[in-house]
Amino acid sequence: MATVELRGLCRRFGNVVALDHLDLEVGSGEFVSLLGPSGCGKTTALRIIAGFEWPDSGEVLVEAKDVLGQPANKRNMGMVFQAYSLFPNMTAQQNVEFGLRVRKQSHEVRAQRARELLELVGLGSALNRFPRQLSGGQQQRVALARSLAIQPSVLLLDEPLSALDAKVRVQLRAEVRRIQQELGITTLYVTHDQEEALSISDRVAVMSQGRIEQLGTPAQIYSGPRTAFVANFVGTMNQLEGTVVSMEDRVVRCGPLLLSVPDPTFNHPAGETVELFLRPEDIGIEVLSNGTQLVPGQFEGRVTSLTFLGPVTRVGLTTDIGPLLADVSSAVALNLAADTVVAVKLDSASLRSIAR
Amino acid sequence: MAQVTAADAARPKDHRFRRARNRVPVWHVIWLVLAALVFLVPIYSVVQFSLAGVQPGQSPFHWYLTVFDDPMFRSSFWLSIQIALETVAVSLVLMVPTVFWVHLRLPGLRPVMDLISILPFVVPPIVLVVGLLPFLKNITFLFVRPEVLSLIYVVFALPFLYRALDAGLRAIDLRTLVEAAESLGAKTPRTLLLVILPNLRAAIIGGSLLTIAISMGEYTVASLLEFNTFPVYTYVIGTSTAYEGVALSFISFIFVWAAMLALYLLGRGGRSAAAVAITDYN
Repeated sequence: MATVELRGLCRRFGNVVALDHLDLEVGSGEFVSLLGPSGCGKTTALRIIAGFEWPDSGEVLVEAKDVLGQPANKRNMGMVFQAYSLFPNMTAQQNVEFGLRVRKQSHEVRAQRARELLELVGLGSALNRFPRQLSGGQQQRVALARSLAIQPSVLLLDEPLSALDAKVRVQLRAEVRRIQQELGITTLYVTHDQEEALSISDRVAVMSQGRIEQLGTPAQIYSGPRTAFVANFVGTMNQLEGTVVSMEDRVVRCGPLLLSVPDPTFNHPAGETVELFLRPEDIGIEVLSNGTQLVPGQFEGRVTSLTFLGPVTRVGLTTDIGPLLADVSSAVALNLAADTVVAVKLDSASLRSIAR
Repeated sequence: MAQVTAADAARPKDHRFRRARNRVPVWHVIWLVLAALVFLVPIYSVVQFSLAGVQPGQSPFHWYLTVFDDPMFRSSFWLSIQIALETVAVSLVLMVPTVFWVHLRLPGLRPVMDLISILPFVVPPIVLVVGLLPFLKNITFLFVRPEVLSLIYVVFALPFLYRALDAGLRAIDLRTLVEAAESLGAKTPRTLLLVILPNLRAAIIGGSLLTIAISMGEYTVASLLEFNTFPVYTYVIGTSTAYEGVALSFISFIFVWAAMLALYLLGRGGRSAAAVAITDYN
């Protein structure tokens, strides 16, 4: 399997900058997701790798060879599209065989490979069905099998699950990952769904305005966002504004609270305004009954909203340091209602700071 | 999923809904009958007239037999068919790649194509021919050959074929299909042949049918250029023997209907035929 390297890719569409000196290295057999909002350039990057777009400048190296001079049909890259792309006039088997037919493989080889791959994607019994006879999820499975039939050096997936309903999407993304690991194929996956990206990738590149904001493992991206954009785009974050009191002790004043930031990379001089980020699951709340005193580290909050999310309930709070969201067990949330006064405690070990 | 209980299964089916659903409003029937009369009465009149005026002892199809016996009928009919087929071939060879390319790579040109495609509607055939005659007379080798009619009919058929192909290409996700084929290693001609054309079958057949109908029925240009095509022959016969002329008109109807039926059947079997073609490829 191949390595992929993007070096300084730039692409403009009129006045719109789609890619702004994009650099990325994907290791052999690695699964990397390009994650970002609409218009961040992730699909443009993928289409340039596939050969359907051309950059204004930069390089695309596959196995250390620049492929920008090659047309799409010479790059040997499998691609699964967001839109259903099966050829309507061909059966599932004929679709999967198409790439092999172009490569002048014998009928026996084609048929056997198509059967194997359709078995791999769980559609061994749908060989003779036309696309119109398949559900959306089945069509994307066939499209995946078709892209794998040519034994591509790189597999490119452009939001392949976005047209599917939620349950099928979750099921199919697990299958995509299983198949990718089984075949060990280098894969680039474009999505705007952070949950999807975090759940199936070896690494995630969060993109914004044509650049990679942060590249890291799903855990690194989730727990250690390095920019405000990543913090806000990936998952839900509480965002607090504070002023650095001591750089050495990593203490920040946030309203009436003095918070100790555990981030070892904290490097902001005293007096600088920083933004602190904290996940809702890192905030604990307790109902304050009459006469109960706040313990050190706690501060008072008032419930403003309750959103049931299944196992947890997201609680909206107003506090002296600003509005907060906290996730509590739905069983605990049964004791809460609007205007309930609660004791709030931040898990300061999870606090992240980003300079403004 | 909801389970069907034994009580549900035992419950007698209520046929009121089916009856209500199947009931056809009386106004629909009236409009349908009126529309049918508008089409059928002239055809019935044509058939009745073509069977009239027969002497005692002659076949009721006398005028048809007379027409079929006329060598001029056969020659004019085959000339028109030949011109119609040439027109279809030239039109498809010109238009399919052009419309494909405009849709795929030059979508900004679509308004221009739309405008060009309606020009034959705007310019009357007689004006077009009067304008073309001096030019055609300069290229005498073409002027005296019936193929020149095919070239002119390509222009007449342009709006119909273009619209059919345009609608066909809009109905498919052309860019995604082409890119999918390219990512699998196919070059554009193969993509066009194996992926796009089979999915444009209905549009191609519809456009071809209209092209045939136009070619088979065009009189003005053929008459001015002095080619004895089927419409010209029909007119000439009609001016001398009304019965034979009407019989010829009905033969023309039958031919167009047969062509429509054949193309319809071809189009209906398109998917399976395309699948066979793909299987046989290589």
